[in-house]
Amino acid sequence: MSTVELSFKLNGREVSLSVAPDTLLVDLLREGLGLTGTKAGCREGECGACTVLLDGTPMNSCLLPAVKAQGREVTTIEGLEKTDGSLEPLQEAFMGEGAAQCGFCTPAMILTATALLKNNPDPDEGEIRHALSGVICRCTGYRKIVQAVQTAAKARS
Amino acid sequence: MQDKTQEKTKTQVLTREENELARRLRTADKPLTVAGTSIGRRDDPLKVTGKLKYGADYSAEGFLFGKILRSPHAHALIKSINVKKAQELEGVAAVLTAEDLPGRNGFGAIIPDQPVICGDKVRFVGDGVALVAAETETIAHQALKLIEVEYEPLPGIFDPRDAMAEDAPKIHEGGNILSDDKMVKGDVDAGFAEADVILERTYQVPFLEHAYLEPDTTMAIPQPDGVMLIEGPMQAPFTTRRNVAPVLGVPINQVRVRQIHMGGGFGGKEDSPIDLSCRAAVLAQATGRPVKITLEREEVTIQTAKRHPMIMELKVGVKKDGTLTAFQGVIYDEQGAYASLGPKIPPAGGSHVHAMVMMPGPYEIPNVKVDAYLLYTNHPYGGAMRGFGAPQVHIAHEQMMDELAAELGITAVDIREKNAFRLGSQTATGQVLSQSVGLRETLESCADRFKWDERLAATGWVDQAHTKRRGVGVAMGWYRTSIGTNGDGCGAAVHLHEDGSVLLYSGITEMGQGAFTVLPQICAEELGIMPEDVRLVKPDTDLVPESGPTVGSRSTTLMGNAIILAARQVKESLMDTASMMLMVPTERLDAKGRKIYDRENPDKSLDFAAVAARAMAAGKRMIGQGWWTPPVPSLDGHTGQGSPYHVYTYSTHMVQVVVDVETGEVELEDYVAAFDVGKAINPKALEGQIEGGVAMGLGYALMEEVVLVEGVTQNPSLQGYLVPTMLDVPDIQPVILEVTNELGPYGAKGIGEMPNIPATPAIINAIAQASNGRVRRLPADPERIFWAIKEAGGPPQD
Repeated sequence: MSTVELSFKLNGREVSLSVAPDTLLVDLLREGLGLTGTKAGCREGECGACTVLLDGTPMNSCLLPAVKAQGREVTTIEGLEKTDGSLEPLQEAFMGEGAAQCGFCTPAMILTATALLKNNPDPDEGEIRHALSGVICRCTGYRKIVQAVQTAAKARS
Repeated sequence: MQDKTQEKTKTQVLTREENELARRLRTADKPLTVAGTSIGRRDDPLKVTGKLKYGADYSAEGFLFGKILRSPHAHALIKSINVKKAQELEGVAAVLTAEDLPGRNGFGAIIPDQPVICGDKVRFVGDGVALVAAETETIAHQALKLIEVEYEPLPGIFDPRDAMAEDAPKIHEGGNILSDDKMVKGDVDAGFAEADVILERTYQVPFLEHAYLEPDTTMAIPQPDGVMLIEGPMQAPFTTRRNVAPVLGVPINQVRVRQIHMGGGFGGKEDSPIDLSCRAAVLAQATGRPVKITLEREEVTIQTAKRHPMIMELKVGVKKDGTLTAFQGVIYDEQGAYASLGPKIPPAGGSHVHAMVMMPGPYEIPNVKVDAYLLYTNHPYGGAMRGFGAPQVHIAHEQMMDELAAELGITAVDIREKNAFRLGSQTATGQVLSQSVGLRETLESCADRFKWDERLAATGWVDQAHTKRRGVGVAMGWYRTSIGTNGDGCGAAVHLHEDGSVLLYSGITEMGQGAFTVLPQICAEELGIMPEDVRLVKPDTDLVPESGPTVGSRSTTLMGNAIILAARQVKESLMDTASMMLMVPTERLDAKGRKIYDRENPDKSLDFAAVAARAMAAGKRMIGQGWWTPPVPSLDGHTGQGSPYHVYTYSTHMVQVVVDVETGEVELEDYVAAFDVGKAINPKALEGQIEGGVAMGLGYALMEEVVLVEGVTQNPSLQGYLVPTMLDVPDIQPVILEVTNELGPYGAKGIGEMPNIPATPAIINAIAQASNGRVRRLPADPERIFWAIKEAGGPPQD
């Protein structure tokens, strides 16, 4: 099969590679690049577990052809890693509040909340719930996730 | 009179035995230091960084991709099958049909009635008729299309009541009635004669999908020495091994099963991994290569076990003052195509018997009769889902309690207060509840926190236009700890090292509930060290003792007890050694915070690690092995009388809703859920179980249903199968009460399933209280609520 050239910024680093034109971003990340922190739960944009940030906006990577990343910036959960090993306030808050159970939705929740807090550093509960409603969690009942985002917002301010 | 005497004798025997078990567990009367605190989850750092690996995250390089050809028919004979073209496709390593199988062509958690590959007939849409292993997933898909199967369709059964007809087509050779169970206490006719009000109602619940976010996946990896290694997310590694071995035709010790962290289970990953593991294993054996089978989301819905649908007919009698006099119930419990976890494992195992036992609810009722039928149909099959038969029957009895209260003109809380279990109550199976009965305390605390009386008085129209009404609902519940079989044993091993560090070997799996945090907590508490000193060895059937499955809210309690017993064996070595070193008798020694010290003179102490080193050097026992079996359960096969489960968790939920009486839409405004958990080992993790369980119960109440037409699943994807989002679930306030269980670790009882159970009827009751719309067939989606309000003659007019 023919391939296309693709260049984009991934977690702060430029990457250039050849991909089949029908490759989905979720598969490129997980299988092509080994970034398995992005999860595939339904492959139809319903569960949100595959959420990544595209130029800072949360997107379902299972609905996104990889070529759509051309010239743009993609951030996955691995992109939050810092060289000194410290964690982001959101990551700390998710641990502190007990906001992760099975953990399958956790990377998507944290990335979505990252985008929210960047645009709205002090969201109220309704804004948090609205912003994160595209990611399904089947374990927690969401309360501790909302609390974690509130705690992180306080820690950042 | 004679019956009563016999009952007394039984009770006394049971009490003696429980005392002996309780004696084994008894701990020194000292404050807990590690158990009872909300330490963070051990695997959290991996979860928040995306580094935790789930089944699909392991590289499949060198693996073949396994796929299942599925029957499009609900019930049909297989006349012929031709796999030649598929076999010839380049990149296909194996195409297997029933005749290629080496061992037993059947698997199942209880009865092996499900074919690994169907040979002569198919029993549901999705049944496996051939297996393919290919170099890529795309080739595997292409190969499936090249397999030619000729079917002769048979009439199907899609309503469990039809399965009982004399002339019904037989789905299995033994007939369609998989189990026919009875529970009889007292005399219901006499009880109805005493009643002032008798109501008869039918309640119905659909198939439910677990909708765990992680699709099922299994790897079968043949080892050079002939052992078959199975790896995958699963709740029951030992049950998987017990099935894979006969399917391959090898002894159990030739199969090794390792659990991978699950992206949710909720009971669903108890038996679907058995299915996938058997199928991956036969492909791996046939090709000599590692095989991975990963289900697509739609396959998860079509193939894997569901929550059993039930049709429940109730007739209940009550006196004017609210005292229940008689309860009569019939359950048509739909098993679907295969037995899965439905049938009875004597005396009281299996979801069906559990549903029967739970059916009258946590209430004292002198006269009870339940007939429970477990019936095969040509639908997907029912298995375990967070409550194992209990959520369904709670939906029936909790609605009935409200309907009776309304008829009598008393409140929903009054009728429950009148009849709720207390210490010493006798259940419908004749079991006397001899310890840890906190049901009434949960009602009181819940009502207090929720402000039930005030809120009940304030229900009514929300807006002047009279389109929305506010209402409140309550439901109570009970749930067992353990699974009610004779063989519910659980083993653990504790290895102490000379530097004081510990390896804990447990076969209890992690699916998000927090076992990998709570179990080391118990081990550390018992030894007097810190949780971080204990490393848990992940479930691997070659390494850990048989622990049974991670189901039935049994992990913390049964495994916790096994760990305590194992830890005490090495603790004895430590105490003997410390006694010599300190010249203090062992009875005076205690351990906490990595110190072993003289209780009478706490300054006289030794470092835990120094004592461990000395014990090792002296050749003391450094390995402890614990085995815990709960009290022997009993349940008479004819009368359903006995003590099926040794202890119960209790709960009360209260919820406030607003119902739009013009559209049937519901909004949840507030929610309080109170629990008697015995002892909270990790309160924060426990709160998480409560909040998540309630959210799942909300889905059951308002939106979730696997829709089937002529056996075909209409909503296999998450587009059609709706689950609650962050906008649907209110802020759930958990209330945790501790009424000590003398048969649990530090007094704990199970909690994994209980929160899910009363949530659904509490919401349904609130909708009815607000709007008059009583939805007896779930889910209560806007359309059903709309029609229920119409049927009731409209909403209240006050």
